[in-house]
Amino acid sequence: MKGFWAIYKRELFALFVTPLAWVLITAFLVVQGIHFAILVTQFAGPADLTEGGPIPAFFGKTMLLYLPLLFVCPMLTMRVFAEERRSGTIEALLTAPVGTTGVVLAKYGAALTTFVVMWAPTVLYIALLARTGDVDWWAVGSSYLGIFGLGAGYLALGTMSSAMTESQLAAAMLSAMMLLAIFTVGLGEFAFEDGPARAICSYISPWAHMADFSAGIVDLRRLVLDATLVAVPLFTTVRTVDAWRWG
Amino acid sequence: MIEVSHLSKSYGVFQGGRGARGAQKAVDDLSFHVDRGEIVGFLGPNGAGKSTTLRILAGFLGASAGRVRIAGHDIAEEPQRARAQIGYMPELSPLYPEMRSGEYLMFRAELKLIPRAKRRAAVAKALSQARIEDVERVMIGHLSKGYRQRVGLADALLGSPPLLILDEPTAGLDPNQIREVRELIRGLGGEHTVFLSTHILPEVEATCERALVIAGGRLVAEGSIEALRARSRAPSARIVARGERAAIVAIATSVAGVNSASAEPATTGGVALTVDFAADGDGAAITEALVAALVGAGVGVREVASHGASLEQVFTELTDTRADAASAREPA
Repeated sequence: MKGFWAIYKRELFALFVTPLAWVLITAFLVVQGIHFAILVTQFAGPADLTEGGPIPAFFGKTMLLYLPLLFVCPMLTMRVFAEERRSGTIEALLTAPVGTTGVVLAKYGAALTTFVVMWAPTVLYIALLARTGDVDWWAVGSSYLGIFGLGAGYLALGTMSSAMTESQLAAAMLSAMMLLAIFTVGLGEFAFEDGPARAICSYISPWAHMADFSAGIVDLRRLVLDATLVAVPLFTTVRTVDAWRWG
Repeated sequence: MIEVSHLSKSYGVFQGGRGARGAQKAVDDLSFHVDRGEIVGFLGPNGAGKSTTLRILAGFLGASAGRVRIAGHDIAEEPQRARAQIGYMPELSPLYPEMRSGEYLMFRAELKLIPRAKRRAAVAKALSQARIEDVERVMIGHLSKGYRQRVGLADALLGSPPLLILDEPTAGLDPNQIREVRELIRGLGGEHTVFLSTHILPEVEATCERALVIAGGRLVAEGSIEALRARSRAPSARIVARGERAAIVAIATSVAGVNSASAEPATTGGVALTVDFAADGDGAAITEALVAALVGAGVGVREVASHGASLEQVFTELTDTRADAASAREPA
């Protein structure tokens, strides 16, 4: 883990000193702002509240939550390794007395921090809602936990993709494809009859994942899946980075 | 300080575009050692395997076979300890363009585990050693190639590591900067061990005490600069003369100590004669006898140039024979 803080700080520096993070955050917040505005307008009229109020709706009942995530996460992570390999700076980085695990975790940690920063302003929306009515803060907390778990896995997959290619574009496309594949398999929940196929799809599904968390249900099985989606790709990334040396 | 034994590196079958011909050996059974405080040049033509070897020594690439020990630490078994001994400057010195030179060096100092309290002083020292104090606050992306090269050098010098591995440290510098960098490197000897690669001969002559010559991934010569120079073959002479070609060749070959002679029309008029002396002959005496014989036979001698034993010649010979042998082994 030597070198973690140095690399973590530099990664954040690189993200925020170049336009990339700002562009992504701005684009994301614009979409989420529109998303919130639509929902508020809808719930301002006569609304059906049997499916929950605006908070469960905001955290996972519309595509406007998932679509940005499917694109923003790959773009947050595409450069972490691909750029360093293309420019050659990886050589200086990996010849410093640091371990590969430290390098991978620092780069991933910086992307995850950016992800959290990206979501932070949306707390304002909840605060606005709280001024007009009662807000179930437990559900809000579990919703953010769900978002964090989802994003953590997505960013780990993105980090892995970035380690697998020298091209940032290829890295972004590879991880976007993986995320899309997961999402699509998850939709099987609505396609299959009751049975093992449906159970598996529902377990994987980000949609079902967010439906639980936004309703205030913190299911340990879902968190285990999230942790797996973080650990396996990151482990693969460490091995991939080590593998360059022996190519 | 560096001990390398039977080091080999082959790249995968698909890398390098060699297809079914199998793995290509970039480094082939290399063994050498570098003592503490030495400045050693690693010499070879482009593509000889210099950078690959240096990358292995610096711990960036893994070896396919063989062992590398840096200050007693095996680079495969104790990679972080071994790497902590090394200041490495990669070829072309790639850097993060969005950082200022000073910021970059502070980052590198932290990575190199220099304690927080000493970082500023270490960076200031490296900046002054590489003579780049004036660009401390300039973004690396805005620096000229020469400056960037020297930021890379400052990075290698950070924290005064006992061993410096420099991959073509003067590439891309102008003549004044080259002189400065060479002076700097010469000044590092004694306190530091320096292992630098280059394909420029004067660089080795100007900075190094000892040189290793590599060609085709193999070590073809090793020794002090003087010892390498002594390896050159017997000298030869080139003479431009006025007269009939066949007659001139006949006269030249008749002189005692001349091994062979060939002639062709010279671009400046007359005949250009190339004479190889016998290996054990005294070049100066033979040249005198040769000129006397030519003049005695009524041939007008216009130019005489002796080809002494330059390091360049040794280099060409060493690396050429290896290239010939390699091409003979593997018909195209």
